[in-house]
Amino acid sequence: MLAYQIRIAFKSLRRNPLQSGLLIAGVALGIAISTSFVTTYYMLSGDPIPEKSDRLFHVAVDSWDPDNGWDSDHPEYAPNQLTYTDVRGLMQSDLPTYQSAAFKAAMTVQPEAENEKPYREIVRMAFSDFFPMFNVPFQYGTGWSRSADEGPDPVVVIDAETNRKLFGGEDSVGRTLRLDNRDYTVVGVLDEWRPTIHFYDVNNNPFEEPEAIYLPFNFVEPLELQSSGNDSGWKFYAGNEFQDFLQSESVWLQLWVQLDDRRQQEEYKSFLDAYVMEQKKAGRFQRPLNNRIYPVMEWLEREEVTPDQAKVMLIIGALFLIVCSVNLIGILLGKFLARAPEVGVRRALGASRTSVFMQHLVECELIGALGGALGLGLSVLVLRVINRWFDNQFQFQLDLTMVLAATLLALAAGFIAGVYPSWRICRVAPATYLKIQ
Amino acid sequence: MELGPIFRALMYNKSRFWLITLEVALTLAIVANCVNLLLDTRREFLRDTGLDEPNLLVISTTPFDDAFDEDDFVHALEEEDLRRLRSTPGVVDAMAIQQIPLSGGGSATGRRPIDAPPESEGTGMPYFRVSDHALQTLGVELTAGRDFAEGDFEEREEGSENELGRNVILTQAAADALFPDGGAVGQQIQNSGGEIVDVVVGVVRKMHNSWPRSEFAANGEVVMLKPGSPGSAERMRYMVRSEPGAIDSLYTEVEALMLQTQSGRVVDVQTLTEYKEDYYSDALVMIKMLTSVVVLLLVVTALGIVGLTSFSVTQRTRQIGTRRALGATRTDIVRYFLIENWMITGIGIVIGIVLTYGLNYALVQYADVPTIEWTFLIGGALAMWLTGILAAVAPALRASTVAPEIATRSV
Repeated sequence: MLAYQIRIAFKSLRRNPLQSGLLIAGVALGIAISTSFVTTYYMLSGDPIPEKSDRLFHVAVDSWDPDNGWDSDHPEYAPNQLTYTDVRGLMQSDLPTYQSAAFKAAMTVQPEAENEKPYREIVRMAFSDFFPMFNVPFQYGTGWSRSADEGPDPVVVIDAETNRKLFGGEDSVGRTLRLDNRDYTVVGVLDEWRPTIHFYDVNNNPFEEPEAIYLPFNFVEPLELQSSGNDSGWKFYAGNEFQDFLQSESVWLQLWVQLDDRRQQEEYKSFLDAYVMEQKKAGRFQRPLNNRIYPVMEWLEREEVTPDQAKVMLIIGALFLIVCSVNLIGILLGKFLARAPEVGVRRALGASRTSVFMQHLVECELIGALGGALGLGLSVLVLRVINRWFDNQFQFQLDLTMVLAATLLALAAGFIAGVYPSWRICRVAPATYLKIQ
Repeated sequence: MELGPIFRALMYNKSRFWLITLEVALTLAIVANCVNLLLDTRREFLRDTGLDEPNLLVISTTPFDDAFDEDDFVHALEEEDLRRLRSTPGVVDAMAIQQIPLSGGGSATGRRPIDAPPESEGTGMPYFRVSDHALQTLGVELTAGRDFAEGDFEEREEGSENELGRNVILTQAAADALFPDGGAVGQQIQNSGGEIVDVVVGVVRKMHNSWPRSEFAANGEVVMLKPGSPGSAERMRYMVRSEPGAIDSLYTEVEALMLQTQSGRVVDVQTLTEYKEDYYSDALVMIKMLTSVVVLLLVVTALGIVGLTSFSVTQRTRQIGTRRALGATRTDIVRYFLIENWMITGIGIVIGIVLTYGLNYALVQYADVPTIEWTFLIGGALAMWLTGILAAVAPALRASTVAPEIATRSV
């Protein structure tokens, strides 16, 4: 029966190709715009590391100015980064499964080849746990060992792009990379890795690509590295030496820990409180005790990572689809009612109301399905245009969830738009049309 | 006029009436809100920065040679770079600066009047450390006090009292924030611990700091210019003001010029406009996306109205024929359909105005967008009304071609 109805529906669509084209194009346009806008929102706000985002925690302790809180609108917020002193103290803990303090620094890459110009690159200074903690994929080699953290050993991890640029994309493990006049041995090359949100450090552009180069954190002292991200301070410190800066109350480092179960999380929180109480004795941390560990999604929410524009786009995209559906109702109504004489004859020959209703609904669903398929294709193009507008800073693309959602949405639009016109046409009284004929 | 009969005829076919009304109302709500948002963003992007924006070039150099670790070397190089930049044809003036305005990356500290009570909250103070010729290069306008003088740039002796204090220049917004009653020039201002005391020697009309998109520091208008040598072993940056029209050729020349003066560093050249566009990039993309949606939406709605009106013309062919047979002219028929359409669109617009405010309220709550201005509403309503009329013209003209004898024929 269904196969028959689909065949009839196809026939009906072919009878007026212009009108059918308009109908399908309308659905396609609505689906394309809404799908690509929703994708934009979904990628800018979605979970960047769904497999373990509830087990990764951003550590926040309130070392800020006793007189003025970190955020006057949110007195409950501790600063969004940590001091060097506190990172040193907190990294002593052996509770977390993984833990890494990190920050980004700018360094100059000096290629081996004479004719290649040196260039600036952002380097992430991190501990060995950074790679397993964030499930960073490797193409060649691995991250460095915990003992290399201690050295610190002159080892480096580079991303696939840097590996292509400097070593022609081959297995470069064991090769030498020169940074700011010092040599480092490559121990690992990352595979393509592009979390939608730069969640482990949202200080500057929360959507930037991961860093190209990774060095052991403990080089911070010998190299006297400063953050190329944000650093904030509230307390004046005397002296111009790097040590003075390290010992100051400036916050400029991120600390992430992996805590796998409740017990571990509770223990770590007690550890934080004990640490701060100890520091209070030394005259620091004069604000009330305010330590928190934020799971990934809560942290992104606190830092208001999703741009307002993306939220607006989400709403506008959805409304656009609604307007297209209303439009669809109108055209379908016209199309079906124009066919009233024919339906009148069919009804007189014994077709039930239900079968007329179903027949027309199937036709609407067919339009929805065709429009949805075309719309999905279009939305790939629309996303490509959006990516170009963003200078490919983002890589918005459809994933399986979005394809399924768009398909359902298209069928739903066909159904919602089709119910009323189908109902109208199945109510046609056969007698009227028989008389005129 | 025949408004009454037209309205009653309209009510005879309610579904068409409601569909067009709904479409017009929804479209108006979306279009008015989109236009509101995109004009707001555009205005924000185009607002006066106080700088000679189109003629400013930014040169960022990052050393990798160990020679740069010596402070004296950096200092001497900075002077040499500036001397050579200033003598390049097409350059009006050049300065060294440690951060770039309008770029999203900068430095901020806090200041309060020296006699303010210690528990009072200070003013968040974005600042730029600048070399001489700063005001001339940036193109900012001095409105009170004086420009920097030679002595203002001298480093104070290490360990001396108030070693880090300087004679500084504030923007009007910064002066107003610190001294609401005026008279900023000559005043002393200090950081929260009182270790640094600066003296205000001048006030400029306007200059945006590094974060004009943020509400922080009076929407980016609070700035303190602090004299000194901004270069370091980490980074040396310059801004160059070109003569009008010369910026493109300078853009390509300066990298070679800088490397010729001193190698061992990476040189990056960008216009200030490029920094600004980068900083605003998501907003600029949003403008494009919103504009496309508005255009598409108007097209879709217009097509919808064309479709529904054509259908109603087809349906009423016999009635039109009857009216023509009874003496109605072609103009009467066209007028009938236009008035009918005008009525439907009008009701749609009235409902749409309510919807517009509703949608705007939701957006304000959910996404922190600006409240809609009533002028946009008028504009949007006019655009919808015009779209509605234009969409009805073709079907109405077709209706007028129906021949009177149709009435005498059966289908």
